[in-house]
Amino acid sequence: MSQTTSISMAEIYRFLAQSMRYPSPDWMQADYFSVLDTFIAELGWDTETQALGQSLFESDDWLEPLQVEHTRLFVNAIPTVIAPPYGSVYLSADGMLYGPSAEKTKQFYREQGFDLAGEADIPDHISFELDFLALLAEEGKSDEEERFLSLHFRPWFPKFQARILQEGRHPFYGVLVNLIDFFTREEM
Amino acid sequence: MALNLTRRKFLQTASLAAATAAMSGCFARQANASTPFVKKPFTAPGSFADTKTVVGGVCEMCFWRCQLVGKVRDGKLVKLEGNPKSIDNGASICARGNGGVKLLYDPDRLKFPMKNVGKRGAPQWKRISWDEALDECATKLKAVVDKHGPHGIAMFPHGSSATYPMGFFENVVGTPNISEASFFQCRGIRDMAYVATLDTAPDENVDMANAKVIFLLGGHFGENVHVSHVKRYLKGLENGAKLVVVDPRFSASAAKAHTWVKIKPGTDTAFLLAIMNHLVKTGKYNKAYVEANGEGFDKFSKGISLATLDWAAKICDVPAKQIKEVAELLAANAPNVSIHPGRHVSWNGNDFQRERSLACLTGLLGAIGVKGGFVAGKGPKVGKAGGWPKINEEHAEAHALHKMAKKYQFSPPGTPTDMIRDAAVSGKPYAIKGFVAWGQNPIQTVPGEDLTIKMLQQMDFVMVCDIMPTDITMYADILLPESSYLERYDMIKPGTQWDLSGKQEQYIAARMPLVSMTAADHERKDPVWITNELAKRMGLGQHIPVKTQEEKTEKMLAGANLSIEQLVKEDGIHVQPGVDPYGKVLKVKFFSQELAEAGFPAVPTYLPVPEPPKGFARLVYGRAPVHTFNRSQNNVWLVNEMPENPVWLNDESAKKMGLKDGDRIELVNQDGVKSQTSSVLKVTPGIRKDTIYMAHGYGTKNPAMTVGVGKGIDDQSLITKLAVDPETGAHGMRNNFVKFVKNGKVLSIPA
Repeated sequence: MSQTTSISMAEIYRFLAQSMRYPSPDWMQADYFSVLDTFIAELGWDTETQALGQSLFESDDWLEPLQVEHTRLFVNAIPTVIAPPYGSVYLSADGMLYGPSAEKTKQFYREQGFDLAGEADIPDHISFELDFLALLAEEGKSDEEERFLSLHFRPWFPKFQARILQEGRHPFYGVLVNLIDFFTREEM
Repeated sequence: MALNLTRRKFLQTASLAAATAAMSGCFARQANASTPFVKKPFTAPGSFADTKTVVGGVCEMCFWRCQLVGKVRDGKLVKLEGNPKSIDNGASICARGNGGVKLLYDPDRLKFPMKNVGKRGAPQWKRISWDEALDECATKLKAVVDKHGPHGIAMFPHGSSATYPMGFFENVVGTPNISEASFFQCRGIRDMAYVATLDTAPDENVDMANAKVIFLLGGHFGENVHVSHVKRYLKGLENGAKLVVVDPRFSASAAKAHTWVKIKPGTDTAFLLAIMNHLVKTGKYNKAYVEANGEGFDKFSKGISLATLDWAAKICDVPAKQIKEVAELLAANAPNVSIHPGRHVSWNGNDFQRERSLACLTGLLGAIGVKGGFVAGKGPKVGKAGGWPKINEEHAEAHALHKMAKKYQFSPPGTPTDMIRDAAVSGKPYAIKGFVAWGQNPIQTVPGEDLTIKMLQQMDFVMVCDIMPTDITMYADILLPESSYLERYDMIKPGTQWDLSGKQEQYIAARMPLVSMTAADHERKDPVWITNELAKRMGLGQHIPVKTQEEKTEKMLAGANLSIEQLVKEDGIHVQPGVDPYGKVLKVKFFSQELAEAGFPAVPTYLPVPEPPKGFARLVYGRAPVHTFNRSQNNVWLVNEMPENPVWLNDESAKKMGLKDGDRIELVNQDGVKSQTSSVLKVTPGIRKDTIYMAHGYGTKNPAMTVGVGKGIDDQSLITKLAVDPETGAHGMRNNFVKFVKNGKVLSIPA
């Protein structure tokens, strides 16, 4: 991978990590949508572009439905939290947070010279993992990046993605997880 | 583009110029735009990276508050154990205590403040900031106070996290409308009856470890597990105490009993009166104690004189011989007998009189202040802190519904639940338009769910603060997430060694965090912070008594010449020499002038309870050893241990009804209310034909509790006929009757 590609990949990971955070006007502005738009246009995802456009740009109060959907999918919801964004929920037998796989993820961060800032941060939150990939990409550690993806990210991500594709009520997160999927899939 | 496009190819070939330019704008405005990571050179894990033992835990999976240590590996709590330094629970904790780890890391836990943008009861949540949440709570609650007065707010608190906010609402806001489930749906009746008789609330202060007889009325230890309490009980049995268990069901305690009294439910007071009358008539009571400390004994003995063995035998469906046996056994071993006061005693709406009878029996046997008797350990003194100034006490007093109606003179602190609910629904004598639930789930704790929902629906504003998405959270307008007992400073737990006859020692433990709360992926707050922020925004900030939980703990510890630092040095528990608890004498009001003046029976009196209609049996409930009613119903470990609450049915009845052990069944009550879920049938000779039993707390309705939802039957939903204890205003919850439903067919229960 050339140096420029690595830098771009870091930005993309960071963009994806940001996208999974709570929708807020602090960051969800024209620039954000312009990047998102470019990606899906370049990928040729026409149907998605159309669906997103309808829900996001043709209505004035586009933000609240997005926030409600984020809360329902990832925080607390009726009838159930659809897709807790933490790896061990999908990887451990009891579906709890901070399962053994989360501890191993944290160990990987450590080995690469990084630690989470919050003492009680749950290590395998999707945004943390994507942010961490950004750091690896930034440092040009492409082997480690591939290793992290295959050992710690891909084992759970498709299960998480499937739940959102099946249960999502807003096109935004469907597009987003497909985008994450695209950028984290194993290179053929 | 081609389907097999890879990200590498995409980055090389796609035209991303527009994205590159805009990329920096995606993060710019975000306050904490930086990465959640910090750089830290890697050091290979050595011995210091291994699991640490963190001291200072005090359990809250139930309210017995065993002292814990946490095994913490790299910031993650991996295991909870009893604190080996504890002279109370020792190194032991129960299944629920162990299960605390799974509460901490439950993905269904509340994580952020949320606003309901859907409807009450059918919520749609939107995560909001603490500022927005608190501003809205303060504005709405203040609007209620301004329009309807402080008494326009009702608060339903539970647990140690609710103590501080309760003080705020009661003393500073000034509402009398506070209903604690621990009083009005549990032990308040017991406390008030003992206060009226022995001038002290009893807790569970019987010296079972050193008793010659242990007498339990409905107590089912083994199914009801409070560690040091069960230790006392088992030590007593080990030492050869005789056990008398009065229960319509062959409970875990009945299985260990010398005498199992298979009583007809609701008639316990008649049983107790007959025992007392027999002791008085035969002169086998503790004459010396009664003469020295009894008040109104003559009126008492006359008042209970009609309660003969035969009279009670008929009422209680127990042989007169057995009643006599129990009476003689108690007399022969007096005063070293433990007459257990019970804990959850809100049964039939005649409960104050039963609890009075237990207190009188204790006095009659002179079983007070002696080995095996009614004795309270003498705990250490600690400081007080965090009390709110009582600036609105007079207002609260003047607007207390039971005082206005001159009813329920023996009400425990707060206001009887039904009076609050009725006032809210009817608007009389005044409107109640603001509702705060803090750690309590009234949908499950308070019988009469429909009325509770009516009360909630008519509110201008509903605020709920909790850890888990319990049923009540579905009715919140604003829902606030609290820190758990494993993550915060909180209460002080003082006490003595568990065996009162052992080496006299006292201990002081403080609840201190075992793991940190600082995290980027959730924003939970502790109750002192939340309450203080609410107070400030309601314009009441000047009354704030402590700034933080930690300050409150420090101040309380300072009262015992301790500090947090010192307590940590002492492994989380300070132990000091104790005081001999024996020898304390209590006056016994066999006849109560106070009760007479209020128009209640002044001598313990049996009041019959409604009988089951034909084809129905009485629904009674109890505790499961691995659950604390509904509070633990989403805990994966605990649910795995006991996923459902089997419904007990007498074997002969089952045979006649064509039901088998293990059948899936539902229940329908006398008002035609059907259980919303099903459970499994337990067929046993160990229960009376007129009684159906199940563990309470199952059948959670909120689907956000993904583990517990729909498992077992919720007995509370079947309690539609309300009984209210006339002296205290507390609920009686065992006057409802059920039939079985199998495959849609209703099955009557033969008499």
